[in-house]
Amino acid sequence: MSDRAIIDRVDASLAGDAPLPRDNGDLVFEEPWQGRALGMGVAVMGRFGISSDEFRTHLIAAIRKHPEATGESAATAYYAAWVDALEDLLRQRGIIDPPTAETLPRA
Amino acid sequence: MSDHGHEHDHHDHDHGDGAHHPRPESEAELRTKALEALLVEKGLISSDAVDAIVEMYENDVGPQNGAKVVARAWVDPDYRDRLLQDGTSAIAELGFGGAEGAKMTVVENTPSVHNVIVCTLCSCYPWPVLGLPPTWYKSPAYRSRVVAEPRAVLEEFGLEIGPDVELRVWDSSAEVRYMVLPERPPGTEGMTEEELAGLVPRDAMIGTAIALEPETVR
Repeated sequence: MSDRAIIDRVDASLAGDAPLPRDNGDLVFEEPWQGRALGMGVAVMGRFGISSDEFRTHLIAAIRKHPEATGESAATAYYAAWVDALEDLLRQRGIIDPPTAETLPRA
Repeated sequence: MSDHGHEHDHHDHDHGDGAHHPRPESEAELRTKALEALLVEKGLISSDAVDAIVEMYENDVGPQNGAKVVARAWVDPDYRDRLLQDGTSAIAELGFGGAEGAKMTVVENTPSVHNVIVCTLCSCYPWPVLGLPPTWYKSPAYRSRVVAEPRAVLEEFGLEIGPDVELRVWDSSAEVRYMVLPERPPGTEGMTEEELAGLVPRDAMIGTAIALEPETVR
């Protein structure tokens, strides 16, 4: 499946429960890392033939686990959950074992 | 509201990762970078692939929706009729919609009529089907000139409209947004709906281009 087709499917599959953050129809990326997170997710789904529905399950769980914190924008919270979901998925599939928040070097 | 007061220019990432960071990176940002670095290091994805996808997201998600609407109208005459009669409902049948209550009106190109859309006042645009408006759509030059001299403007887009073809310019507003249903190109009889959607570039639904011929796509 082409990246385009995956993008389309992701957009449609997430539309109900965990829609991509938008403003007046435009996707919202407040900071470049949010776009990269999204792009990475699509690249991983394409590379490993993971369906958008499978990813969606992880994303919804991640959003539940980390609801929007005070002082945090909706897009920041959403893409933070997105990265969580992607890590979960990669771990569960045994593709890689990403570093957890604890083992990550601090800025 | 975010407590990150800085407005980030979208071109920031062109300068390379973290080159000009006005503030400490957030945890989510660090984790995103770490994950990408890991995936790239293991040879599972490339940064170029991610770049390409991000670009697509920024430019291209919307037009795909419109292309599906067009392809459905090409293969299903009943759908085409519904689409021309009540664009909003017919587009919603495919799961797209919701431009803040704006009505979607679809105008059909025929051998004797060519349609083009504009928003002379601002930049009203049928984003649920076409995504982000291109920069030129919002430019004062396009907005004023396409009304005054549409033939000349379309020629600049590389589109020559014969003198016997009537040109109709549709001015979008907050209440009504237009989308052009381009003519189905010749030589596409055996194609599936999905393949047909691949022949419909964004500009064909604005009216500054026509649908692609199959040979030009493969």
